[in-house]
Amino acid sequence: MMAVAATVETILVVGGGISGMTAALEAAETGKQVVLVEQRPYLGGRVTQLYKYFPKLCFPTCGLEINQRRTKQNPHLTVLTLAQVTGLTGAVGDYTATIKLAPRYVNERCTACGDCATAVETEFDDEYNYGLSKRKGAYLPYRMAHPARYVLDPAIIGTADAEKAKAACKYDAIDLEMREETLELRCGAVIWATGWQPYDAAKIQPYGYDRFANVITSVEFERLADVNGPTGGKIVRPSDGKEAKKIAFIQCAGSRDRNHLLHCSRICCMASMKQATYVIDAFAEQAEINIYYIDLRSIDRFEDFYTKVRANKNIKFIKSKPSSIVADKDGNPVVHGVDTEGYNRYAEPHDLVVLAVGMEPAVNQNDFPLALKINREGFIEAAPENGGVFAAGCAADALDVNRSAQHATGAALRAIQVINRVARAEV
Amino acid sequence: MGDMSKNYRLNFLKEVEANVEEGEWVKMCMQCGVCSGSCPLGKFWNHPPQEIFMMIRAGKREEVLTSNAMWMCTSCYNCIVRCPRELPITHIMHGLAHYAKRLGLIPQQQPTAKFAQLFWNNLSNKGRVNELKLGVKLYFMNGIGEGFKTSLKMKDIGMGMMKTKRMNPLEIVGGHGLEDIKGFQAMLKKAQELEDQRIATPRP
Amino acid sequence: MAAEKKLVGYLCTGCGISERLNVNQLQTIAVREGKIPEVKQHARLCAPDGVQMIADDIAAGATHLMLAGCSRRSKVEAFSFPNVAISRANLREGVIWARPNTPDNQETTQEMANDYVRMACAELRYLNIPSPSGEQKLNKNILVVGGGVTGMTAALETAAAGYPVHLVCDEAELGGVWKNLYKRVPFRAAASAVPNGYDVDLPQPEEPGITEMSAQVLANPLITVHFNAQLSKTSGAPGRFAADITNTAGATVTENFGAIIQASDFKEYDANQLPEFAYGKTPDVMTNFELERLAKAANGAPLKRPSDGKIVESVAFIQCAGQRSEQNGHLPYCSGFCCTESIKQALYFKAQNPDCDTTILFDDLRTPGAAGEDFYRCGQQEMVTFSKGKASAVVKNSAGLTVKFQDLILNEATELNCDLVVLATGQIPNNGPDPYAQLAVDEAETEEEKEAARIKLEVAPPSILNLDYRQGTDLPQLKHGFLDSHFICFPYETRRTGIYAAGPVRRPMDMKQAMDDAVGAAMKAIQAAESAANSAAVHPRVGDLSYPVFRKEGCTQCKRCTVECPFGAINEDENRYPVFNESRCRRCGTCMGACPVRVISFENYSIDSVNQQIKAVDIPDEFSEKPRILVLACENDAYPALDMAAQAGIETTPFARVVPVRCLGSVSLSWITDSLSSGYDGIVLMGCRRDEDYQCHFVRGSAIAAERLSKVGDTLTQLNLEPERIVVHEVAITDLERAPRLLNEMAQNIEKIGMSPFKF
Repeated sequence: MMAVAATVETILVVGGGISGMTAALEAAETGKQVVLVEQRPYLGGRVTQLYKYFPKLCFPTCGLEINQRRTKQNPHLTVLTLAQVTGLTGAVGDYTATIKLAPRYVNERCTACGDCATAVETEFDDEYNYGLSKRKGAYLPYRMAHPARYVLDPAIIGTADAEKAKAACKYDAIDLEMREETLELRCGAVIWATGWQPYDAAKIQPYGYDRFANVITSVEFERLADVNGPTGGKIVRPSDGKEAKKIAFIQCAGSRDRNHLLHCSRICCMASMKQATYVIDAFAEQAEINIYYIDLRSIDRFEDFYTKVRANKNIKFIKSKPSSIVADKDGNPVVHGVDTEGYNRYAEPHDLVVLAVGMEPAVNQNDFPLALKINREGFIEAAPENGGVFAAGCAADALDVNRSAQHATGAALRAIQVINRVARAEV
Repeated sequence: MGDMSKNYRLNFLKEVEANVEEGEWVKMCMQCGVCSGSCPLGKFWNHPPQEIFMMIRAGKREEVLTSNAMWMCTSCYNCIVRCPRELPITHIMHGLAHYAKRLGLIPQQQPTAKFAQLFWNNLSNKGRVNELKLGVKLYFMNGIGEGFKTSLKMKDIGMGMMKTKRMNPLEIVGGHGLEDIKGFQAMLKKAQELEDQRIATPRP
Repeated sequence: MAAEKKLVGYLCTGCGISERLNVNQLQTIAVREGKIPEVKQHARLCAPDGVQMIADDIAAGATHLMLAGCSRRSKVEAFSFPNVAISRANLREGVIWARPNTPDNQETTQEMANDYVRMACAELRYLNIPSPSGEQKLNKNILVVGGGVTGMTAALETAAAGYPVHLVCDEAELGGVWKNLYKRVPFRAAASAVPNGYDVDLPQPEEPGITEMSAQVLANPLITVHFNAQLSKTSGAPGRFAADITNTAGATVTENFGAIIQASDFKEYDANQLPEFAYGKTPDVMTNFELERLAKAANGAPLKRPSDGKIVESVAFIQCAGQRSEQNGHLPYCSGFCCTESIKQALYFKAQNPDCDTTILFDDLRTPGAAGEDFYRCGQQEMVTFSKGKASAVVKNSAGLTVKFQDLILNEATELNCDLVVLATGQIPNNGPDPYAQLAVDEAETEEEKEAARIKLEVAPPSILNLDYRQGTDLPQLKHGFLDSHFICFPYETRRTGIYAAGPVRRPMDMKQAMDDAVGAAMKAIQAAESAANSAAVHPRVGDLSYPVFRKEGCTQCKRCTVECPFGAINEDENRYPVFNESRCRRCGTCMGACPVRVISFENYSIDSVNQQIKAVDIPDEFSEKPRILVLACENDAYPALDMAAQAGIETTPFARVVPVRCLGSVSLSWITDSLSSGYDGIVLMGCRRDEDYQCHFVRGSAIAAERLSKVGDTLTQLNLEPERIVVHEVAITDLERAPRLLNEMAQNIEKIGMSPFKF
């Protein structure tokens, strides 16, 4: 049984994405004891799956390197991966969290040498690449994963593959006897940073995500463009591997829609413009991009980016929510709709359509371990009745990375306020 | 440009809210255009629904009420299912048509409006649609010459229908109807009363 | 502290190292050449028994550890021992993973490993164990500049964590730009819904809560408010800031602070620059800020148009007035708050008279998030008319005003008549002068440049902070005068350590965001004060206890360090000697790199600690066909890129010897000249992107290095060496394929131009 020292002066951070990491690090770097719980086998969350950030077009791994270094060297921070908070009882200043730890089947002796992955044979859809590639049953989730330890897919446990992995390991790092564990942990305050998930594009039926190979989501497109992604950064379409030079981006795919998500997801306009630059970088003059939008939301200083992108004559902005997509005989998705400015009816074939899918809170309204004030979009509102539980980042609203980190920094202070009160009361 | 004093005034929007079925939804449109793109007959209209809604908000009363737009709706409901604001667009369009008719503003020679009237007259007579009579009326709607021309064009289909007993030529005299026609007509009368009452007392 | 150094070496033979390398040879080198008396081999050093072995040695007195095995980025937790100096020889990622496992490569691969062991041993001898300087004690007082909602929130949140606050407010009452709010945009989204029908409970404009907030601030025993006051001078550093707070009567009090939050909010855009909308020609055209004041004064009574007191029955809002425009005098950015602000103000009219015609002319309606979109629907439900339209002019007519615009949906030029026009104008950050505007004057090379810089400085606003810093009185500005951090992952990064900007001074924003922002800034301020007390660096080298040590005897008072420090950490004394302020320092080493006489160093990173690595490399003779390439790689991006390239199996030339540096800014030209004269054939510097979208974690380090290197040409000419022997590259962390390629290209170039003649 894993032992984690925690008291009512400990801050529990649920979720190890950019928001959770930021909150945990800011609190730990102020000298507070922090336990960071992450459901995936590694930290970093969804930003690890992005190729570039808007508006600087810089690489998420750059900031991640710093955050990982901060994490590795901070003595006040304990990280639990493959862990989920299943229960939370108590009140502000004294909570007890129940944490379920899934087995990794690989212990801390792992040197990330990769021999186990070479040894095993079964392949699985790589969730890190949204299924655009395969991974082995023993795998490092992605190259920069922290902790830099392999994981065995639970599906290979009990099969010959598991034994092969174990036999291949020179460091005695594979432990097939690992079992799920449950841990109880005390803490004074909780930062809830469970983030978001992409809206299920298949639910937007007229766009045929589930019917047309060449209709993909914005998160998938990030993997496609990533030089370290499944295609080595080649922007090709799934159906036939043809270079996708003419691409439609459809905004509000699921957002601002009473049939799907009520809210505006805030990031998608900027994300599509960013992705348009990927296409320009790849194909220069041959690139042809249509961005179909309702309102272009490049808020505050982001307007500079819009101005820059708009200046490129190969990127067109069409004020229109497309009505449907059909595939022509060559597998080209044809986007149908009406340009509301001037009423031009279009039926435009593209190589690829990218749906700018909305951000949905990752935790279902009904699945929170204790009662919190949640709005009907599913985000946690800041409210006194939440006691010592503070939302950070996209658990609180649809936010971009910068705003998430900002919000998480604030959440760290809110937790520290509780801890300091508890500490003063204890003296 | 004409008189612009009523531009972007609420008068017409409020008139629509008061008189058009589901009219209170018009203001909720956010001009995304998905309805216009979704309409299978969109390209045959003067103004697709989204534009109609903006025109209502811009106070373009005459243009809206005399438009052929709402007469072209085939009730496919594509727009309703796709509207991100869940506007009951089909119903609003029919509501607008109904209101335009009440005001006597149906566009001249609007075939769908004529058909609608023929259909109603046909149906309300005996409580059943007499397809033969309806067909004949429809063909001769625009005069005798055209009526014969259309009839000749459709004769093969007509013969086929008779052969397969889908159409009874005897229907041209009398035709079938409900058993309790009196009761049916009483119901229609009551409905008309209710409708008149509704129109007479505009909604708040 | 001055205890004797006890050096111990560890050679990990796991992860294939012993299969690929002659580890006994490595051990011999560490002992004989590296002069490490005791070197131990271990089959898996990071495993518990290996770590225990090291811990036991430390307990027995070891102070300096040379770990040869994996990269310094790997197994950090396992090898994290306090109060010892550690150098690491990167044999795994740096050597065996970067080279193919074939017999013909064996020799050069072993040579690589030998050199990395030599380098780690050499570095270790020059590392000292930093200890806290104690230059500043824990000062929990936080200074908040600005009495608006941002400042008040920062004060309340700081106090709630138990830290005392002094709030400097330049007016006689709290509230700042926000105190004129009649209502505020709702903070929350709707709580429930009725399906297939109208929305219920849509958020409505709320009480602004400014009075309550002011009362809370005034009643808080931990908060001291200085009214009608400004900072006349701010000196010191985190943990020991001294601020002179001067009121309008001229009285000054001096208080000491651990950290500072600048929450000076925004200034209203001057709508006189919008003559096309008849602003100034009629009082019936007003800005959103002016309407707010009118609504506040009316306090729920019908709003009247100023010209004749007629109750407003129709009003048009023109969004993006003087914003999102490249036109001279307009703001190029979107102020972010105006769409919801106009909806709120339209609802003021609707609350009084539901029949009031309210039209919002917008280009893109920007109501993000859950609350934003709910509020948009709320406006529509209350019959606010939204029209995608581009206003071109406002003119007076007999009865009121006419707004001419293009209705973009109906695709026609049209107009509407109304009683009142509200221009949704933007926010201008309320900042002091950009410190680099002052520098630009000082450093302008031509008279023309100087004049241009001077004009810019003359129109600069008065200082807010009055910092007594060598590098100017206020926080450096990013773009359009905002104090934003530039780093997406690190929104509170500041170029003046311990001083954090919050609210619209940082980026245009609404009240809710300003309040959220203030909480984050308060967190950073508290953290800065606590870190300063421990003499520990803040982001990005968090916890680093080393700080620049300066040998005054050798200093030539050239001022390069004081000018080049990206964080304004170094002042000058009356004799023009640098005065280092430890807690302002971020430990990037730019000063060390700047110093031409090499008198600045850190305990754990110095001219020597790198130079000795450079010298430790074995330089084969000119005829060996084995060139040596010195690679100075930024530890944040280029070094990880090389590590990960090796992990991905991408080959790197066996002739490169990579030394990680804190920042290219810390690279001393002496390293370059020394390595050239000691026979290196090529030098590759790998730093971060340095253009407008710079990625350098120390802001200017990469740019400064490039500038310095541009002057190396002379040295090369003097030495009769080809200029292509030295290259500077911008390398991103994702450049897995490119980073090794750049090194391989250098190797190929050397093959072409020949070996350096300076081999001894």
